[in-house]
Amino acid sequence: MTYFMLFLGLCFVLGGLAVASNPSPYYGVVGLVLASVVGCGWLLSLGISFVALVLFMVYLGGMLVVFVYSVALAADPFPETWGDWRVLGYGVGLVGVLVAGVVVSGVGEYMKLGVWTVDSGGAVFVRLDFSGVAMFYSWGVGMFLVAGWGLLLTLFVVLELVRGLSCGAIRAV
Amino acid sequence: MNPHAKLITTASLILGTTITITSNHWAMAWTGLEINTIAIIPMISKSHHPRAIEATIKYFLVQAAASASILFSSLINAWSTGQWDITQLTNPTSCLLLTAAIAMKLGLVPFHFWFPEVLQGSSLTTALLLSTAMKFPPITILLLTSNSLNPPLLTLMAVASAALGGWTGLNQTQLRKILAFSSISHLGWMTIIIIYAPKLTLLTFLLYTLLTSAIFLSLNTSHTTKLSTLMTSWTKTPMLNATLMLILLSLAGLPPFIGFLPKWLIIQELTKQEMTSTALTLALLSLLSLFFYLRLAYSSSITLPPNSTNQTKHWYTNKNANPLIAILTSLSILLLPLSPLILPTI
Repeated sequence: MTYFMLFLGLCFVLGGLAVASNPSPYYGVVGLVLASVVGCGWLLSLGISFVALVLFMVYLGGMLVVFVYSVALAADPFPETWGDWRVLGYGVGLVGVLVAGVVVSGVGEYMKLGVWTVDSGGAVFVRLDFSGVAMFYSWGVGMFLVAGWGLLLTLFVVLELVRGLSCGAIRAV
Repeated sequence: MNPHAKLITTASLILGTTITITSNHWAMAWTGLEINTIAIIPMISKSHHPRAIEATIKYFLVQAAASASILFSSLINAWSTGQWDITQLTNPTSCLLLTAAIAMKLGLVPFHFWFPEVLQGSSLTTALLLSTAMKFPPITILLLTSNSLNPPLLTLMAVASAALGGWTGLNQTQLRKILAFSSISHLGWMTIIIIYAPKLTLLTFLLYTLLTSAIFLSLNTSHTTKLSTLMTSWTKTPMLNATLMLILLSLAGLPPFIGFLPKWLIIQELTKQEMTSTALTLALLSLLSLFFYLRLAYSSSITLPPNSTNQTKHWYTNKNANPLIAILTSLSILLLPLSPLILPTI
């Protein structure tokens, strides 16, 4: 089981690598799908099923689908992807940076720390992920409002950036 | 810009800054920084010119990477110590990463390359916001975590910032780039002293904000963005050019003006900490930036351009001068006699 967890972690990093090293976003998003599926698997292994489900439905089923639809509008006919030697260089470079980071930061020694699963918590008889979300609506309402405003702000900023059809330097279809 | 968009971006800038400044949990500090980054993007790309869009992209990428690094540093600390308090950052990896991340946010030397290009791509008022208001949350985080930063890295970055801010600013003719390099070298002065006397960093930052606001608003009145335009701008607002010269000399740190106070106090504090050679190096490196401030002062008031201007002063009187310029200019030039009031609180 430990090796399965390690495999999930490796796939997560490789998915991230696929996103970062792919010159075309249409193929890079495949790496994003892999990374988020594997991240869900990791969360499930800790017992955090609710957040994993939310991640799957909202991230993959909502945001990625919208991304795919919007780039289908503006796709170029022959995007370049893996198969170019330059991309191999990106991949090797990114893996090298990652290994150097892990070694330098000494994060490897933290692998020995135990992991709290979602059923632990002593006097708390509800699962931690549900109660965490409930906390978000009660004690954490300030953070909730701020996070909600942040997301809404991102929407407004994107709308402002692509406003004007072809009048500006960012081409809007 | 659309009034609704302007309202949303301005309100979000104020919200983001307030959240970061008043936070004691790392998540809130990070949230405020991200809100600030997102909210200023439409302001930088306001003119929809390709250079402005490029500046927006560069700003977003660098600030997002820096915010992510801040988040990672707080996560590593939370993993090893179990708490998220901003003032209790103790894990050495976190301290190193945080120092680098704040340097990226502010524009200290190995991470300064984005700053002149972003300032050059934005309008003068947006450049003012980027140099002063957007630096306020990272400086606050720096002050809050001042005893958790990594001293050798910080000293290295500070001296290098003073050096590179001076040297790379020497060959510039575009005013926004010159002011970007002046900001980088002032940040060097601010960060050299943060570990020993954080209040001096705050003082330097506030005085730098005052002086830079005065300069940007004065330049905005006559719409000058280059050295050659500065030379003929005396016909539009003669008094403003004369005061611009004095503000520039104040920014350079020359004694009768308030810009001298932070440099003096920082050198004094460094000497007390037995870092005399560092103090000497910084003082000598600020001579480089003095050169380009003097060049700006020379172009604005001391000399006349070689081309002929049609008349001594322009006839039209609709100068949309911001009333704030009068206040900021007076403060920038005349505030030094108040320093005995400031000294006991340092």
